[in-house]
Amino acid sequence: MASSMSKSSEAAKPFDIVATYNELLRSDPDLTMPIAAIEALVLLLTHSPSSTISETLDLLEKSTAHLKKSIPNPIGLSAGTDLFQRYLITTLQRPGQLGPAGDFNAIRAHLLSNGRLFIRRAKESRHKIAAFGGGFVRDGSTVLTNGGSRVVASLLQKAADEKGGPSAVRFRVIYVLSPAKDTSAEPEGMETVRALRAKGVPVATIPESAVAYSLGKTDIVIVGAEGVVENGGIVSRMGTYQIGLLAKAMGKPFYAVAESHKFVRLYPLGQYDLPIEQRVIDFNTEEDITDGHKPQSVAHSSDVVDFTPPHLISALITDSGVLTPSAVSEELIKIWF
Amino acid sequence: MVNPVDPVQTSSPPTSSVLKPATQQSPDMSSQQPQPSTGASKPAKPSKQPKSKDALPTAGGAPAEEKLSPAELKKRAKAEKAARRARERAERDATGGAGATQGPNAASAKRGSTGGAGGKEAPGQPQKGQRHRRGSATLASATEQKKKPEDKSVAVFGHLYGQPRRTTVAGAGKEVHPAVLALGLQMSNYVICGSSARCVATLLAFKRVIEAYTTPLGTSLSRHLTTHLSHQITYLSTCRPLSISQGNAIRALKLEISSIDPSVPEADAKATLSDFIDSFIREKITVADQVIATSAAQKIQDGDVIVTFAGSSIVKQTLLTAHKQGKKFRVSIIDSRPLFEGKNMARTLANAGLEVQYSLVNGISHAIKDATKVFLGAHAMTSNGRLYSRVGTALVAMSAKERAGGVEVPVIVCCETVKFTDRVALDSIVVNEIADADELVPNQPLQQVTGLPGPAAAAAPADPKKGGNKAAPNNPPAESTPVPNGSSPLANWKDTPNLQLLNIMYDVTPAEYVDMVVTEMGSLPPSAVPIVHRMSTNL
Repeated sequence: MASSMSKSSEAAKPFDIVATYNELLRSDPDLTMPIAAIEALVLLLTHSPSSTISETLDLLEKSTAHLKKSIPNPIGLSAGTDLFQRYLITTLQRPGQLGPAGDFNAIRAHLLSNGRLFIRRAKESRHKIAAFGGGFVRDGSTVLTNGGSRVVASLLQKAADEKGGPSAVRFRVIYVLSPAKDTSAEPEGMETVRALRAKGVPVATIPESAVAYSLGKTDIVIVGAEGVVENGGIVSRMGTYQIGLLAKAMGKPFYAVAESHKFVRLYPLGQYDLPIEQRVIDFNTEEDITDGHKPQSVAHSSDVVDFTPPHLISALITDSGVLTPSAVSEELIKIWF
Repeated sequence: MVNPVDPVQTSSPPTSSVLKPATQQSPDMSSQQPQPSTGASKPAKPSKQPKSKDALPTAGGAPAEEKLSPAELKKRAKAEKAARRARERAERDATGGAGATQGPNAASAKRGSTGGAGGKEAPGQPQKGQRHRRGSATLASATEQKKKPEDKSVAVFGHLYGQPRRTTVAGAGKEVHPAVLALGLQMSNYVICGSSARCVATLLAFKRVIEAYTTPLGTSLSRHLTTHLSHQITYLSTCRPLSISQGNAIRALKLEISSIDPSVPEADAKATLSDFIDSFIREKITVADQVIATSAAQKIQDGDVIVTFAGSSIVKQTLLTAHKQGKKFRVSIIDSRPLFEGKNMARTLANAGLEVQYSLVNGISHAIKDATKVFLGAHAMTSNGRLYSRVGTALVAMSAKERAGGVEVPVIVCCETVKFTDRVALDSIVVNEIADADELVPNQPLQQVTGLPGPAAAAAPADPKKGGNKAAPNNPPAESTPVPNGSSPLANWKDTPNLQLLNIMYDVTPAEYVDMVVTEMGSLPPSAVPIVHRMSTNL
């Protein structure tokens, strides 16, 4: 709490929230964007000597806006910052020792300790989801999945463990891999593939173009999500929407796996209604070879997202249970009011 | 007009027992011809019917009626008696059952029938069937029948015909405050129209009622004022059925009244109530509208073509807000007879500098072609997420959703939470409002020649909207009378046999056609309506 900084207005400057956020994400591969954002905000509060509630909220708001502006895709992140802000406000409004009447330092200490508790709980939610979702992976079934979602990976690994060791695994996985940004690196998700194979799960890797071909051999589709929006749709890495459409057309159940802290207060009406700028469709009349960078790299599928509307999703597997898409708004309203 | 709602009925299982009668009706509904209902009423006279059918060939085919055997004569006498009874019963229903609600169960029980298409269907059809069957034998009684006023209510909507709207203050109780008297007439004549406007006007009128109120001796304000208000409410509901928002506001007001401590001095209590009304209007409507307009305006982007239906004040506010934010978009207003609520909106928006296209609902397929978003107002949102709004809304929503070959057009509903209700609607038949059918009559073009023989017969089916031509006359053109110049072919529809006009006010849009509901508590999918309603009423 004690800090070397002199004035509160300058306090945020030396403490670079963006750098902290990026550093957190880099240091812990298990960390999701919303949690990293919350952790960065908690650190920010620890470093800033603000002494009143409104000052704290103001600081929080400013740094949140700054953070959102500096990250190319702030959807996942905003779920975390919104949640933390909401949590702060409700805590501060609560009557009693920790309410507006109480000693601000006590409130602060409480907030910080609770913030850490929150982060720990959020990290544990992945295990909870794995427990809920394990039942969806049945014996003899083939699961199609994509991307590098950690929660999907943990779900599948849990399911493999449950079946009683390498000799007893009775499900198979089709893993949709998209080529990595630079050709030398291995594609995202390869790590999960290796881990699953180590546990004795037969894994097939296919390119994105083979999804429709492979769906005939698939029983269920499980995907991860970057954010779950208010109408129950998901914002996820590019390519999820088309998997959803294909699964719907083929009548295969399509499950999205997401922690409940990824619920975002956002209501996109379609692909082009997301609050981020993505240069996916970039019309050109001539090939741009002036700078060495290939123009396609901007629209690489690990950087850009698409929106899967709720009617394509069979259910959302979250740490607060398995929800239908329409139940998401209920959950969100519960958090927000 | 029933068409857009039809898929609903077939697709949705009856979830509520309250609405059972409607689902029973649905087979009849799909075909609006009189035949099915006659079929349904046939079992009503179980034993006699086969007999009279036997009699049919003899009576119709043989002119020499004297040759009938005594047994046959007896049969016929019996049939006649049954017909007379049915007629009498029908008359009783028609005159005494003006209250309409009493209709269905009692009547169908008496008839021992299947409860075919609601009680009021009884008058016209069964007699007609009888008349045909018995041929010329009862010609005398048939002509006698013709003199009696034909029932002019559309069978499927029979339960909705209550008392006709009050159009004068004559006969209003002396308890009714002048402000309420005036308001009632304004609502009845659509001077005050629209769910929010009516809600606000009612609350303001009630504020004046409360100001003018003095508690009688021997009772307390919290007990007596509610009954005093009930008189006003009853009067208002005879002028026009109360809207959902009015109902919700009145409920809140009554709750507030009953929670006043009897020991509070009257002046204080009245001040509290007046404050309550002011803050209710501010919180639930004025500010709510601003919040909704701002958040809905965010969904409008440069280059959008916004389609809207009729004249929702909140949609108007949204569009103006977006325009003020400097967004460049076009508006296409779709309007309908007979209220033409979109005209005012078109003028306001055009005056504000927006590019406006105005068309009637007949031109929906063209108007929807280049639409990018649809904004709709609401009369109410039901707990199953369906939108209850001005008739025609469902058609617009469906056209947007089912637009062939195009990308889906999001349908956005702007609605204050005060319009949420815990009722559910499976179709637009069970709950609806029927306005005066005479509203459909005027505004006809002058003499119209659409076919060679009988201009009247041709003009009547050409009458476009509102399902007014439900029972379009299919009688021979010889019967059609030439229409006098300048008056509508439908002008004397009440005296035209077999012609019924239906002026229905609302319809129900299925939840699947609605993408988003913008409320002052945030944007929701239609499925979240009951949750928000629960929360907003508990707060």
